[in-house]
Amino acid sequence: MKTRVLQSVLPVFLGVAALLLSACSNDNGKATESAESAPDVTAEMQAFYDDNPEFFSFKTPADLPAGLVWENGQHLPDLGSPEAKKGGTFSYYLNDFPRTLRRVGPDANGPFRGWINDFMIPSLANRHPNEGEYYSALAAEWSISPEDRTVYFKLDQAATWSDGVPITADDYMFMFFFYRSPHIVAPWYNNWYGTQYSNITKYDDYTISMTIPKSKPHFEDSLVGLSPIPKHFFKELGVDYVDRYQWRFVPTPGAYIIRDEDIKKGRSITLTRLDNWWAKDKKFFRNRFNVDKIRLNVIRDAAKAFEAYKRGDIDLFRLNTPELWYEKLPDSDEDVQKGYISKDTFYTDIPRPTYGLWMNTNKPLLDNKNVRVGIHHALNWTLVIDKFFRGDFRRMQTSADGFGPATHPTLKARTFDIDKAVSAFAKSGFTERGADGILVNAQGDRLSFTLSTPYGRYGDILTILKEEAIKAGLELRVEVLDATAGFKKANEKKHDIQFTALNVGGRYPRYWETYHSDNAYDQAFLADGSINPERKIKVQTNNIEALADWDIDQLINRYRAAVTEEELVATAHKLEEALYEHASFVPGFVQGYERSSHWRWLKFPDDFDVKESHYVYEGQLFWLDDSAKKETKSAMKAGEKFPVNINVHDKYKVQ
Amino acid sequence: MMITLNPQTQKKLRRFKAIKRGYYSFLLICLILVLTTFAELLINSRALLVSYEGEWFFPTYTQYHPGTDFGEDYAYETRYRALNARWQAEGSENWMLMPLVPYSPYENDSANGVFKPTAPSAAQQHYLGTDSTSRDILARLFYGIRIALLFALAFMVVVYLIGISIGCAMGFFGGVFDLVFQRLIEIWSNIPFLYMVIIVFSVIPNTLSIAARIGILLLVMVLFSWTSMTYYMRTETYKEKARDYVAAARIIGASNFRIIFKHILPNVLSTLVTFMPFTIIGAISSITALDYLGFGLPPPTPSLGELLKQGTATLRTAPWIVMSSFGTLVVILTLVTFIGEAVRESFDPKKFTVYR
Repeated sequence: MKTRVLQSVLPVFLGVAALLLSACSNDNGKATESAESAPDVTAEMQAFYDDNPEFFSFKTPADLPAGLVWENGQHLPDLGSPEAKKGGTFSYYLNDFPRTLRRVGPDANGPFRGWINDFMIPSLANRHPNEGEYYSALAAEWSISPEDRTVYFKLDQAATWSDGVPITADDYMFMFFFYRSPHIVAPWYNNWYGTQYSNITKYDDYTISMTIPKSKPHFEDSLVGLSPIPKHFFKELGVDYVDRYQWRFVPTPGAYIIRDEDIKKGRSITLTRLDNWWAKDKKFFRNRFNVDKIRLNVIRDAAKAFEAYKRGDIDLFRLNTPELWYEKLPDSDEDVQKGYISKDTFYTDIPRPTYGLWMNTNKPLLDNKNVRVGIHHALNWTLVIDKFFRGDFRRMQTSADGFGPATHPTLKARTFDIDKAVSAFAKSGFTERGADGILVNAQGDRLSFTLSTPYGRYGDILTILKEEAIKAGLELRVEVLDATAGFKKANEKKHDIQFTALNVGGRYPRYWETYHSDNAYDQAFLADGSINPERKIKVQTNNIEALADWDIDQLINRYRAAVTEEELVATAHKLEEALYEHASFVPGFVQGYERSSHWRWLKFPDDFDVKESHYVYEGQLFWLDDSAKKETKSAMKAGEKFPVNINVHDKYKVQ
Repeated sequence: MMITLNPQTQKKLRRFKAIKRGYYSFLLICLILVLTTFAELLINSRALLVSYEGEWFFPTYTQYHPGTDFGEDYAYETRYRALNARWQAEGSENWMLMPLVPYSPYENDSANGVFKPTAPSAAQQHYLGTDSTSRDILARLFYGIRIALLFALAFMVVVYLIGISIGCAMGFFGGVFDLVFQRLIEIWSNIPFLYMVIIVFSVIPNTLSIAARIGILLLVMVLFSWTSMTYYMRTETYKEKARDYVAAARIIGASNFRIIFKHILPNVLSTLVTFMPFTIIGAISSITALDYLGFGLPPPTPSLGELLKQGTATLRTAPWIVMSSFGTLVVILTLVTFIGEAVRESFDPKKFTVYR
């Protein structure tokens, strides 16, 4: 056995060594940049513009409609704190090394994306996370024209790419060409940019307008949120895009760049602040993006990452599980009691990720509504929330919590009730209990389902639910998968019941993706609304419940066609009621806050964070205080104390 | 029928008994096996004996008793501990006898209202504390050991059956058969075992029952482990084949099957026996490692590896988890190693060699 282990370990070891060696010798990925074979996409781009004259228009400033009212959001309050100082290196960690530096294409949608895209890159106008209105970013001013479904933009002439090239109207035209190009191997982008927009017009180098095909409330959301693509950088766009741009940092309109020498493959990646960033003195960008460098070390094990934090190797740590908050870093912890590290609970007000149980209604038994209702009542979420989450989380009530008025105001999720569960199961024919207490029907089928999840960290919750469900005669076979396999399973609709969450965002919930029959089956219904007997399940969609209901389809169509906000909200409420009746989604829990801890030398604004925040570091509002660092380090040596720093920031708490 | 052992074997057994460390380890492992076989009687949330309104119930191995059987108002499995506490508080005529540790390895029993690891406490009868979702560690260890030991024994039996048959056949027939099989085995044994187990096990449909999945895991592990045994059996058989007694048997007209299993096998048994404990160690280690990596027994099956994983994630906050699981693993593996050493020594023809 010993030799066997060696036999199997040795080749792996050698393989890893070889990989490391090759990684070292090829650190900056220059190998893919051989000049002589570099394609030139300019002709292809021009031909695309010419082939789509309806979409790409070229006009003069004289063609701008008269009477446009320009906005710039300058009345909104600052985001950064005037106390912020520049400088220092912020250390944080990544669970895994990014697979690419591209922002689009295969493997680009990983957790690292936030650091090069979501947190870092301004769009034409950004949504003010406290006020919900837009403030000027890449566009100095804009004008919304609902009649022709168009937004006009005057671009900020100071804006440049991180390599110094000015950002002009051409980069926005190119953006549509880029996102619709087959070379990027990103079907979602191809589809979104090909269907959700109908025109871009260049009036001069710094004036553009963009249009969407169908009128809808707050249609400007999908236009002002756009961010350009550097035309000069992607000149070599071609069939080898994926490899050619794999490890090349894309020039950014944001404050941080990644230099080739800062990419230590498999170990760390460092972001460097641009000293002369074009937006550094702008109202909404000043006093943000403060640290000189952001060093992201790869620490693959969560427990190890926490130890690294406690050692002071990383500056901040998110404490969103009760285990971390109460056990690993309790209030009584020595470093907390001496004031070296703080603990912060920050209440946020955002659309909530849909943590819950998604039942596959295409599976036997789960296609029976009574069974689904019974499952709802057999799940003891109260116990999970009270005992596992220690009462800190709340029960999710609908499939779209946290959307303000669009969230149904009175609808409540079904609660744990053994009697109701048993009677619902009885209605579907499950009346007898077998030798182990699990219900069986007349055909001898056991009331038993697989409950799978891609979230290892929540496996414990499922075992708690399992133990409680037995009381109602329901067996749940828990299956904890790794993330990739878990999502794949749900995408291919092979699950019975999946515990998962879809990330949500925007002003209004989206229903078509998750609940429309178009995403459940190919031709789910015949023309008269009856079920198509030959329908086939459709995979790789977000309708992981395989939900196909004629009436819900009609509601979703109405929802999508709604022109006024009132109509949209009213339809959303009707939809939620219909989904409640259908009972295929069991709302789980909502975490109403973000919990984190940081070392004393990391400083935050008085409000700590913004209302619509997903990560404490998202808005780049923090700064490093060098004198506080020295003070803290010497106090740690001497054993001196600072005031205890445990804070609850409930300014944005949702009641 | 009396089992008569030949004097050689009796001598070996006497020598084994004389090696105290190995012999007592053997007795201890047997004791553990027996105890874990009846784990339900020692560690269980079901009562051993319930006397309710003059009638006696023995719920341990029977169908579940809904609460209504004992005058409770729920139709699911009786909560015996709670019921017992109430009967005692009321001074009821009814009474029950609970096992030594009144917890099942699956139930979450939180004393203080939240599910979290709690330190060992005799008062709450959590003698080794609870794990991260307030399940009793002793219960999980005990049932985990049972599964690991049974798994290892089954693994050993199947691996040896295949290994011996093919190894002996290779040695006995020799020639092309031997040559082809050797090459096949060389190729086969170069497939990395752990990765194959992980890959194969990850595509197994989860609709199967837990027992079936454990069975498949066993099968997959056997599939990639039987080869090492063939080498030893092949050389031993080669050696024995040339001996006179084999020639004599052949002249008498014994079949190949009879020669291999009746004549040669008993003579190579000593090699075999000395490997057995180490195969068991390998199997326990593998199943623990797989569980640790999350590719082994499906949750919430109690297992040593799963506890070890929890323990390493909570080293500072709940050291009792890693201490009890690591301690148990060390004890079991050490005991089996002692047995292995003793077996090797007692089966060694050179009496005065000492393995230490």
